[in-house]
Amino acid sequence: MKRVLSVALTLLILTAVTTALPAVGAGVGAAASAAAATRLEVVWMGWPKDLLDEQLAPFLQANPDIELDIQAVPFNQLFQTLEVRLASSQPPDVFIVDGPLTASYAHRGYLMPLDSLIYEEELAEFFPASVEACKYRGVLYALPYTSSAAGLYFNIDIFNEYGVELPPQKPGDRITWEHVLELARRLTVDSNGDGQPEVWGLLIEQSDRPYQLLPLAESLGARPLSPDGSTSEGFVNSEAFIKAARFYGDLFNAEKVSPVGILDAPVVREYFGSGKAAMMLGAEWNISRLAEFEGFNFGLSAHPAFEGGRAVTPTGGWHVGISSRIPSDKLDAALHFARYMTSREASAAWARLFGNAPARRDAYEALPDLFSNYMWEVLLYDMEHTASPRPVTPAYLEFEARLKDAFNAIQFGADPTEALNEAARLIDRELARYR
Amino acid sequence: MSRPPTPAQPSARLAPIQRQARLRERLHPTHRNLRSELLATAAFLAPALALLAAFRLYPAAVSVAQSLQGGSLQAYRELFADTTFLKSVRVTLAYAAMASPATVAVSLLLALVLQGSGRVRSLVRTACFLPSTVSMSVVAVTWGMILDPHFGLANSVLSAVGLPRQLFLASPVQALQCLAALSVWRNAGYWMMFFLSGMEAVPKSVYEAAQLDGASPLQCAVTITVPLLAPTLGFVLVSNTVVNCLAFAPVFILTRGGPLGSTNVLMYEAYKSAFTYLDMPRSSAISTLVLAAVFALSFLELKLIQAGFGGDRQ
Amino acid sequence: MIGPNRIGASPLSRASLLAFRVAGYALVAALFLAPLAWVLASSLRRPGPLYQYASPLSWRLFIPDRPTLANFAHALTSLGMDRALRNTAFVAVTTALAGLVVNSMAGFALAALSFPGKNMVFAAVMVAFMAPFDAIVIPLHRAVSSMGLVNSWAALILPAVGNGMAIFLFRQFYHEYPKEILEAARVDGASWLRLFWQVVLPSSGPALAAAAVLIFMHQWNSLFWPLVAAYSEKYTMAQVIVASQIAVDGTRWASLFATSVLSSIPPMMLFFLLQKHYLRGIGGFGGN
Repeated sequence: MKRVLSVALTLLILTAVTTALPAVGAGVGAAASAAAATRLEVVWMGWPKDLLDEQLAPFLQANPDIELDIQAVPFNQLFQTLEVRLASSQPPDVFIVDGPLTASYAHRGYLMPLDSLIYEEELAEFFPASVEACKYRGVLYALPYTSSAAGLYFNIDIFNEYGVELPPQKPGDRITWEHVLELARRLTVDSNGDGQPEVWGLLIEQSDRPYQLLPLAESLGARPLSPDGSTSEGFVNSEAFIKAARFYGDLFNAEKVSPVGILDAPVVREYFGSGKAAMMLGAEWNISRLAEFEGFNFGLSAHPAFEGGRAVTPTGGWHVGISSRIPSDKLDAALHFARYMTSREASAAWARLFGNAPARRDAYEALPDLFSNYMWEVLLYDMEHTASPRPVTPAYLEFEARLKDAFNAIQFGADPTEALNEAARLIDRELARYR
Repeated sequence: MSRPPTPAQPSARLAPIQRQARLRERLHPTHRNLRSELLATAAFLAPALALLAAFRLYPAAVSVAQSLQGGSLQAYRELFADTTFLKSVRVTLAYAAMASPATVAVSLLLALVLQGSGRVRSLVRTACFLPSTVSMSVVAVTWGMILDPHFGLANSVLSAVGLPRQLFLASPVQALQCLAALSVWRNAGYWMMFFLSGMEAVPKSVYEAAQLDGASPLQCAVTITVPLLAPTLGFVLVSNTVVNCLAFAPVFILTRGGPLGSTNVLMYEAYKSAFTYLDMPRSSAISTLVLAAVFALSFLELKLIQAGFGGDRQ
Repeated sequence: MIGPNRIGASPLSRASLLAFRVAGYALVAALFLAPLAWVLASSLRRPGPLYQYASPLSWRLFIPDRPTLANFAHALTSLGMDRALRNTAFVAVTTALAGLVVNSMAGFALAALSFPGKNMVFAAVMVAFMAPFDAIVIPLHRAVSSMGLVNSWAALILPAVGNGMAIFLFRQFYHEYPKEILEAARVDGASWLRLFWQVVLPSSGPALAAAAVLIFMHQWNSLFWPLVAAYSEKYTMAQVIVASQIAVDGTRWASLFATSVLSSIPPMMLFFLLQKHYLRGIGGFGGN
C-alpha cells in the first residue's frame, strides 16, 4: 500500500505546490457583482489578456449591472472553437467574427440580424466597406470592431546603405509592382557569396494568404469569384489572375528576391525587424509592432499596383456578432456591449493598445498623437479610396482555404496555371453545396 | 540463444497450494462460484467501460454513422477516387514508418542506458523527459527557428562545418523527415518512462544469476531485459503506432500540410475537411478508415511480438 | 556505479570508462536540452528580437546577459497564468487519481480474470484509445452538454478519467503478475476486490507511476477540449494561455517562453518525484 499512497501523495503535493504560487492577479472577473447582474458569455480573440483587461475596464466600471465572462481563444484555435460552440446548444451570447466569415455564420443562422436593433445613423461614422462586410444578402449581422489596410514597409538603413532611393511616402502615391521587383533585385544581397542572401529584397507578411495576395490579382482586373458569388471557374483561373500569381511565384523562385517557406506572419515580422529584408508588404499593425524593435528605422509607402493596373488594397477586419439564440433578457446587455466595443472610444483605445486600425473615422480624430503621422495617413487614404473587401460568400472558409493552398503551392514552385485550375475546380465543388 | 531463466522462487513455494486449488476448482464448479466470478469481473470493468462508452465509444460511433450519411458509402467512394486523400495515406504511412521505429529504438536505448539509481542518471532521465512537457506551440516556434531554411541554427551549424545548407521544413522531401525527427526528440523520453517501468517488473534475481554466469551488460540487455520486456514493448510499439498514425499537432502548427502536400497527414486532412471545408461525412470517413487501419496494425504488432518472444507468460 | 562483473578491471580503465560514460550522458542531455535551454534563456531575457543571437549565432543565445524574472511576474500577475496553473493542476491531479483506480482495475481484469467476451472488451478498449479526438470532439461535446456538464469541472475531468491507453498499459503490466500469488490468495478465500486492493495494487508501483504521468500529461497538455467544454474565464487552463501569446497580428515571444516554462515545471516535477517508483535500482547495468 505504501507505494500506491506515495504515488497519490506525490500528485497531491504537486497540486499544493502549484496552488501555492503567488495568487497576486485579482483579475477582472473577480470583482463581486450584484445578484441582479446580467452575465454575458463572450468569445473573443486571444489577444494579450492584460491589454484586453485594460480595454474592458471602463465598460465594467460604467456597467456594474453587466458581468462579462470573456473567453480569449488563441488565434490558431479560434475558428475551430467557434465551429463547435456555435453548433452546440450553448452558444456564446456575443462573439468576435473574422470579417469574411460573417456571411458563413449568417447563412447558417448563427448570427442575430441587427437591422431592427441598430439605428441607421449609428453606422454613419464607420467606413462604408466595413459596414458592407457586416451584411449578408442586404441584412446587417454584425458591427465592425476593426478595419485593416496594408502597405509597403521599407528598412531605411538598408536603402541608404546601398544608395537606393526611398519609395514615396505620401498618401495615394504608390510605386508599381514592376518597380518593387527591380528594387528587390538590387536589395537582395549575398555579401559573402555563399548563395544565401543576408538581406532579402521583399517579404510578404502573410505570405500565402488570400488577404494579402488577392489585391495583386485585382490590380490586374481579375476577381476571384463571379459577381453573384456562384462560381470561380474562369475567375480564379482567369488570365489576369494567373499573371498575378506568376509574378508572386517568381518572387520566390525565378527571381529569388523573397525567402521561400516563411509562412508565419510573426516570424516574417522578425525577419524584417531584425534587418534581414529591405521591404515588407504588411498590414497596419506593423506600425506598432515594428516600433517595438529597438532602433529600427523604417518607413511606409502606399500599397503598390501593377503598371497600367488599378490601385487595389486589402481591407477587412474583426466584427462583433450576437448569437441568434441569445436569451431575450440578455439581448439589451449584449447590444450595449457590442455598441461599446465598436464605439469611438473603444476602437481608439484598441488602436492605442495593439495597433489595429479602427473601422470608424471619428476614432482617428480621437487620438491625434497616434494617427497624425504620414504612415497612418497613407493607410487611411487607401482605406477610403482603394480598399477592396474580400468576396462575400457563405463558402468563404472553404474558398479561402483552397486559394491559400494554391498560393502556397505556387510559392514552393508549382505551376500557377495548374494550381489555380485545381483551386477553381475545388472551390466550385464547395460552392455547389450552397446552391 | 538460451531462454532466460524464469523466476523460480515464488512458484516453487506455491506449487502445492496451486495444485490443491486446481483440484478444488475441478471438483466444485458451482453456479454460485461462476456467478460471483462474473460479478467481480463486472465490478472491475464497469467503471472504466461506462466512462469509455459514454465519452469515447459513443462519440466514435456517431462519427462512423456520420460517414455513412443516408446509409450510403458515397463518402468512401469519393475518397478512393481522390488523389489528395491517396497521397495523404502515403504521407501518413511514411511518417509512421519513420517516427515509430526510431522513437521505440531511441526510447528503449535511453531506458537501457539510464536505468538504475544515482543522482546523475536521475537528472539525465528528467532531462530526456523534459521535451515532452513543453507546450506544442513553443516546440513549433523553437524548431521552426532551428530548422529555418534561411537563418536557422541548423544551417548555421552546417555552414560552420562546411556542409551545404538545407531547406528542411521548406523542402517537400525533407519536411516529413524533419517532423519525424522532431517527434523522436519530443517523445523518446516519454516512452522511455514506460520501458523503465517495465524493467522494474523484471526480478532482480534474474540479473544476479546472469552476472554470476559472467554475462556482459550488453548480453544482459539482449538476452534478459529485452525479451522480458515483451509486454512493455508491445505497449510502447502499439501506442507509438497509434499516436504517430493519428499525428496532427506538429503538422497543424509547423507545416500546415505543406510544402506541396508533403506533410499532409490523414488527421490533418480530416481536420481540414471538418473545420474548413465543413464536410463532416468526408472527415468522418477519413477518421473511420484511419481507426480501422490502426486497429488492424496494432493487432498485427501484438501478435508479432507474441510470436517473436515465445508468447505471453500467462 | 560500476557493475560487479568489472571488479577485476584496472583503475585506469575504470577511470576512462567513467569519463566515457559521463561524456555520453552529457551528449544525450545536451541533445535533448539545447532547444530547451534556448527557451529558458529567452524567458529570462527582456523582450527583444527573436533572431537576435541566433543569426549570426552567438553563445548569448543560451545565456542571457542581464537575466530578469519580469516575464514570469508578468505571466503570473497580468496574463492569468497563476489561476490557469492552479486550474490545470487541479484537473490533472483529480483525473490522474480517479483514472489510476478505474483503469488499473480494468487492466487487471483484462490480464488476470477470465470471462466470456474478454477479447471483445479488449478490442473496445483499444478502439476507445484509438478514436481520433478531432473526429469525436463534436459528438463528444454534444454528449457532455446533454448530460448538463458543459462549462463545469466535470466536463474537464470526467471524459479523461477512463483512458484506453492506461488500461492497455495496466493490462500489459499485469501479464507479468505471478499467477501463483493470485491463486494462492483465492484459495484462502479472498475476494478478487480485496485481493486487488491488498495484494496487487501495493505491488504495482511502477505501473501506477507510469500511468499517473500518462494521465496527468494528457490533461496537462490539453488545449482544444477545455476551449469548448469549459469556457468560463474561471476554468482557463495553462495551455490556452501559452497558445494565446501567438497571433497573426502580434506574437509576444517573451511571454510565450515564460508561460511555457511555467507550464513545464509541474509535469517535470511529477516525473522527477515519481522516478523512484519505477526505479528501485535493480541489478544489471552497474546499478546497486
